[in-house]
Amino acid sequence: MRRFLPLALLLAWPLTAEPALEACREHQEHGRRAEARRCYRAMLEAEADARRQAEAYWKLGDRKRANESFRAAVAMRPKDAAARVAWGRLFLETYNRAEASKLFQEALGIDPQSAEAHLGLALVASEGFESAAVEQANQALKLRPDLTEAHDLLASLALEEEDPKEAVEHLDRALATKGCPLQAYALKAAIDFLAGRSSSEWVTKALAYNPTYGEVYSIPARFFVITRRYKEAVGLYRQAVALDPELWDAHAQLGVNLWRLGEEAEARRHLETAYRGDPYSAVTVNSLRLMDSLKRFKTFSSPRMVLKLQEKEADLLRPYVEELLGKAIETYRVKYGFTPAQPVQLEMYPDHEDFAVRTMGMPGLGALGVTFGYVVAMDSPSARPPGSFHWGSTLWHELCHVFVLERTHHKAPRWLSEGLSVYEETLAGEGWGDRMTPDVILAIKNKKLLPVAELDRGFVRPTYPAQVPVSYFQAGAICELVASKWGFPKLLAMLDAYSAGRGTEEVFEQALGLKAAEFDKEFAEFLRARTEKVVTSFEPEWRKLMENVVRLAREKKFAEVMEPARRARDLYPDYVEPGNAYEILAEAMLAAGDKEGAAREQERYRVAGGRSPRALKKLAALDSELGRRDDAIHVLGQLLWIFPGDEELLARLGDLLLEEKQAQRAVRELESLLALKPIDPAGAHYNLARAYYQLQDREKTREHLLEALEAAPGYRPAQKLLLEINR
Amino acid sequence: MAPAPEVGGGVRTEVQKHKWLMAAFLVLVAPALRAQTGATYFLIVGGLGGEPDYEQRFAAYVKDLEQICRSAAGDPARVTTLSGKTATKQAIQAALDSLARATTPADSLAVFLIGHGTFDGTTYKFNIPGPDVTGEELRGLLDRIPAGRQLVVNATSSSGVCAEVLARENRIVVTATRSGTERNATVFARYWVEALRDPAADADKNESISALEAFRYAEEKVKRFYADQKRLATEHPRLEGKLAASFVLARLGSAAVAATDPARRKMLARREGLEQQIDALKYKKSALPAEQYKKELERLLLELARVEDAIEAAGGKQTTP
Repeated sequence: MRRFLPLALLLAWPLTAEPALEACREHQEHGRRAEARRCYRAMLEAEADARRQAEAYWKLGDRKRANESFRAAVAMRPKDAAARVAWGRLFLETYNRAEASKLFQEALGIDPQSAEAHLGLALVASEGFESAAVEQANQALKLRPDLTEAHDLLASLALEEEDPKEAVEHLDRALATKGCPLQAYALKAAIDFLAGRSSSEWVTKALAYNPTYGEVYSIPARFFVITRRYKEAVGLYRQAVALDPELWDAHAQLGVNLWRLGEEAEARRHLETAYRGDPYSAVTVNSLRLMDSLKRFKTFSSPRMVLKLQEKEADLLRPYVEELLGKAIETYRVKYGFTPAQPVQLEMYPDHEDFAVRTMGMPGLGALGVTFGYVVAMDSPSARPPGSFHWGSTLWHELCHVFVLERTHHKAPRWLSEGLSVYEETLAGEGWGDRMTPDVILAIKNKKLLPVAELDRGFVRPTYPAQVPVSYFQAGAICELVASKWGFPKLLAMLDAYSAGRGTEEVFEQALGLKAAEFDKEFAEFLRARTEKVVTSFEPEWRKLMENVVRLAREKKFAEVMEPARRARDLYPDYVEPGNAYEILAEAMLAAGDKEGAAREQERYRVAGGRSPRALKKLAALDSELGRRDDAIHVLGQLLWIFPGDEELLARLGDLLLEEKQAQRAVRELESLLALKPIDPAGAHYNLARAYYQLQDREKTREHLLEALEAAPGYRPAQKLLLEINR
Repeated sequence: MAPAPEVGGGVRTEVQKHKWLMAAFLVLVAPALRAQTGATYFLIVGGLGGEPDYEQRFAAYVKDLEQICRSAAGDPARVTTLSGKTATKQAIQAALDSLARATTPADSLAVFLIGHGTFDGTTYKFNIPGPDVTGEELRGLLDRIPAGRQLVVNATSSSGVCAEVLARENRIVVTATRSGTERNATVFARYWVEALRDPAADADKNESISALEAFRYAEEKVKRFYADQKRLATEHPRLEGKLAASFVLARLGSAAVAATDPARRKMLARREGLEQQIDALKYKKSALPAEQYKKELERLLLELARVEDAIEAAGGKQTTP
């Protein structure tokens, strides 16, 4: 999703007074494309200067030759900073941020006063939502206060942070310069549309200046995408491509966002159009490739849900996903007082990079799931190493977004939507939701939490590496405070107020009778009471304690490790990562022959959010040994929401359920086991036959016995059951 | 433990119980192996780990294997273990020399190498304290051993190259890697040991685990390990040799005892005949209508089950001590 499109080409050399080019640029700026092309072609024939040739090739759409000409220009004039800046802009347009950045840096090495190079770096940073964008744009303006595009960029960045007031200030400054006003018009139009107006005088002005300026719609559309209002974005992108069918990025974005709404066929058409016009776009190429790979997905539809699961794992996952998704839809329907107007579509990707492409069009996304509205995409349980994420919790989190976004027509701010999702997943089950990580503890200790009115910034443009997860934690804790002190209905009231277009200040006053700043004080006190112990002891006490605990455990000094491990556990109970105090204590207790104690400790680990399949299976084995089969079944049942594709887990759970005469559930787990193509198919079929035998389903019993005995004719228990049903 | 299921669950329930506890002692075997093939001898060598984590892992695998092999051999004297400082080249040579003297063509020999291996493009070396042992040196030592059936499981990195170096008509060679160029530390040993303890490895449910079944189990587990961990697989296990399906490494019940009981010879012959008919039917499966195949299969399976019942009734269910 490009911030500014072909217009940027006009602005690459705003200061280069070159009469031969000016006429061509003039045509281009006003949308006289045929004239502009003729002009550039004529210039190419007459012009020997490589840099000017580069611009002409670029404007004529021949980026390869433009690149070659820039290379020649830079070789001829190694001290020409402007040529490097322009070349950098070509790379930026062709999605190569790394090369672009390098050229802008080289330009600054030659000319530290190059405002255009700073602007280039600002644009690179802004594409990655990095906070350096603002710094670099301001630096550019310090050097050249009339640099129109830098004002436009700052306005755009302000709008990303939902600060239209500041954006208007920047735009007024932009319009006071002599530069091209089109981007400023488009951004002013965006402010109008975001405020809920259906038309804008700025569109009229832009089209009077350039009748084919499709960006007047595509630039506003981008802000609707950022605020997850995909329907509105799609409407604007449609207008953009209607005005300018060669606006390839708008076609690509239209495709991506139609797909987010579940309109795959139309999405593909626009992505293919985009590819024909701009084959450099990784977003377009990745999206089309992923669409092709979706042929290997199975779709399961019902009135309430549509599941898209990769064919290799569809049979395994379907029963669990259907159960949890159905439960989530019903829970949220009641709790949020909202009935979905259409089925919820859930797509699960076993390859995380496919999920990232589905989400952003590009690989490299850190998230586990994303909700576009009624369409949810997420990593499947097999997308990450076992135990590294809780897919059930992620699904629960994302489903909350569906209800919050749709209930508020996508107007809930990011912090509240994420906060509610975090809050809800924590309530969904023992050990569900995220734990307080060391990053969160350090952020609290170093007073890095944001005021609630600015919390969205922590999600959109983080200023330190862990700020996004810290913001999730903070948002969740805010919702917890509101629900516990004022009651959950107040959270719904806040959603309604945002839905009605109120700002955060108004929302807090209206819903809680507090100013946002007063709420921040309440929240600080709430957090202090909840986290003081761990925040004050984390460094150095807890860290040193854990170093000692881990050393003692490695040296197998189990008697000595008990006391410090207990202290470490109690100081920071949320710490369930590898090497945690719970597992060390359990190991020490087992070494001392205390199975009860070990099981108790492992259970604490589970409830605290421990997710290691190995540790949880160990707990289930201990429970079984101690005669607590119900507990073992519960533990293994919970492990299904973490990593169901585990043959040992499914076989153990199937066995336990059979022993407990829970045949119906045993059938589900054993069918899942078969879907995994187990190492022991005969054993799995035999157990399934046992389950059906308990259910008195003679035909299914026979069917699975024959399967078992076909693989292993001498399998005595299966033989005996076959004789029994034939008696 | 839960009561047995309604019917036919007794034996299986025992198996399941132990499966979940991962007990080693299901492998009850010595007389069976001896009866079929003469005696089986085992040599286990644990090489250098290079760092504490690997040292610990290798030592644990060696210990587990030793326990399994002792149970399988019946006579602990037929199991030789060299691990840590004792696993020198000289000690390996001495152990293999001793086996060359002790075994006859009727006997079987299983050799397990756990640890790291290297391959410089020409020579494979098993990393042990002092001078390493090369693949060629191992072949020379093994070739002098008269045991008529030999199994070499080389679970080290780069071990794939040994599949060619050690190949011989009467020898099965299992390696953790496809070639000498797969140089990363392997996880194969872990799953090989697990195979010998897990009844799930007994794919045909004949109550014994053959080298082929153990290999398939370990191969699948290695594949899943890398898939689950989202890591590029750096080892691809390999099996060479024709005897793997019949080289029994562990028995889980009484099948071997039954096979040697002359009183039941007639019934055993009938059982063998039925098993052959079932195999023949399975071979024709794609050519037969599904219903006909199913009907015929069930008929044969039922008959086989009745013969098994009769064998059992004639001799009572026996388990090895």
